[in-house]
Amino acid sequence: MIRVENVSKRFENNDTGDSVLVLDDISFIVNEQEFVCFLGPSGCGKSTLLNLIAGFMRPSAGTIRFNGSEVVGPGPDRGVVFQDPTLFPWLTARRNVEFGLQALGFNGKDRRNRASESLDMVGLNGFRDAYPHQLSGGMRQRVALARVLALEPGALLMDEPFSALDANARERLQDELLRIWADHMKTVLFVTHNVEEAAYLADRIIIMGPAPANKRKEIAIPRRDTRSRSSAETSRTIELLREVLAELPCCIPPHQSRSRT
Amino acid sequence: MTPNPFDRSSRPISSYSCRTLYSLAPLLLILAVWYGVAWIVTWLRGVPFPTPADTGMRLIDMLGGQPLLDRSIYTHTVASLLRWAVGFFAAATAGILFGMAAGWWRPVERIAMPSVHILQLVPGLAWIPVAILMFGIGEGATLFMIAITAFAPIAINVVNGVKRVDEMYVRAARMMGASNRMLFLRVLLPGALPHIVSGLRVGLGNGWRVLVAAEMIVGSGAGLGYAIIQSRWTLDYPGAFVCLVIICAVGLVVERLIFVPLERRTVERWGMQRAA
Repeated sequence: MIRVENVSKRFENNDTGDSVLVLDDISFIVNEQEFVCFLGPSGCGKSTLLNLIAGFMRPSAGTIRFNGSEVVGPGPDRGVVFQDPTLFPWLTARRNVEFGLQALGFNGKDRRNRASESLDMVGLNGFRDAYPHQLSGGMRQRVALARVLALEPGALLMDEPFSALDANARERLQDELLRIWADHMKTVLFVTHNVEEAAYLADRIIIMGPAPANKRKEIAIPRRDTRSRSSAETSRTIELLREVLAELPCCIPPHQSRSRT
Repeated sequence: MTPNPFDRSSRPISSYSCRTLYSLAPLLLILAVWYGVAWIVTWLRGVPFPTPADTGMRLIDMLGGQPLLDRSIYTHTVASLLRWAVGFFAAATAGILFGMAAGWWRPVERIAMPSVHILQLVPGLAWIPVAILMFGIGEGATLFMIAITAFAPIAINVVNGVKRVDEMYVRAARMMGASNRMLFLRVLLPGALPHIVSGLRVGLGNGWRVLVAAEMIVGSGAGLGYAIIQSRWTLDYPGAFVCLVIICAVGLVVERLIFVPLERRTVERWGMQRAA
């Protein structure tokens, strides 16, 4: 379970001395095995929020707890899938998946088997010896998902993971993600700016806008047995989401400064 | 890679003989300039400037066993190669270790990098008094000079390489639970490799080039650089030119035998961008 309590995040610009408040006193809870989407225009702080939960940065105020303990840094219990696959180009697909397993202390046959299993989950075992540059964008993102699944994290944190893919690859990856999620019942936090994607994937959607008042609206989607991209219900959700988003500015200038952790 | 019709360098060269000519052209140019200079100098100054032919004949004699300064050309070459290898190895180890540290920890970079940049400005010959003071006349001083001139470009390139490793790779590694050790060895080192290779290349060249200066202070009397310097007194200029040719040839061979395959196996295979 993820518990975000009164979290604020302010970015300082060291050159000008200015600072920007990106997240202002935001609170919410994500339950175990829930699929929650964060939807909002770019620059609204949704990626920052995910980075805070991942532990890449610390909040300026407030606390974030994961399964009861405070988040103080990144770790394999919260698997992150980034917008870019960020696979290590110097490792083959299999070696990329094994990287985290090695960090966790898995060795030899154990490590190979687990890597193999999770590459199977994303249907890429046939490409295990390929280097990332030899794979398509969709395949790379599958490997990125596999390397996180291999670690059996408590939660998946996904930061617009499919936004750089073409429409076909995106939909197939969405379906695979849902299948994996159903099989393994992970908690998923999914950041997106795509209305259809949020409506199709999520149990619950938190619509975000720029600070202050980051959390604009929360929509729970009653659980259906099967998801559909074209059902009346999905269309209604999309409609509703569009209405809320229309009240928000379409884009917010960037401010985020990356810092090494 | 798809051929780009607007890229002049990728226009195909047609026939086989044409291609052979193309690959020989640089050598022919060097020989032509060399002959030109040799004739002009001989004509204007009345001193015998060794032509490529003179040098070639002398090289063949030497390869056949004719001694230069009481030693065979092989002894000179091996002596130089050994010094170079040891000096370069020390510089590479120190340069990579230092570069990784300074590339990662900002304070180390802020405090130590200015001195490295200053090191790079010191001309090779200027190290002679320093080397002699520190090591006395002999092998230690020679190795020091080779190492110190090779160190700066390696360190500077490694620092740049580490700093340019995409922050997202670091995040990904941390997210998967990588320790510092794993981060350095499995992420920063390979991530910086294109720059490391280009640093090693420059460092190796610098070390080889300072050889002549470095061997000025060897007492032992073997080495290509030593032989070149001594030709001032013996007036054996063709012998000196032979040493020069060998120095250049070794540099080329090392480039082809070490760096080209190293890049092919790593940077190119990984589809990474080569460092300029």
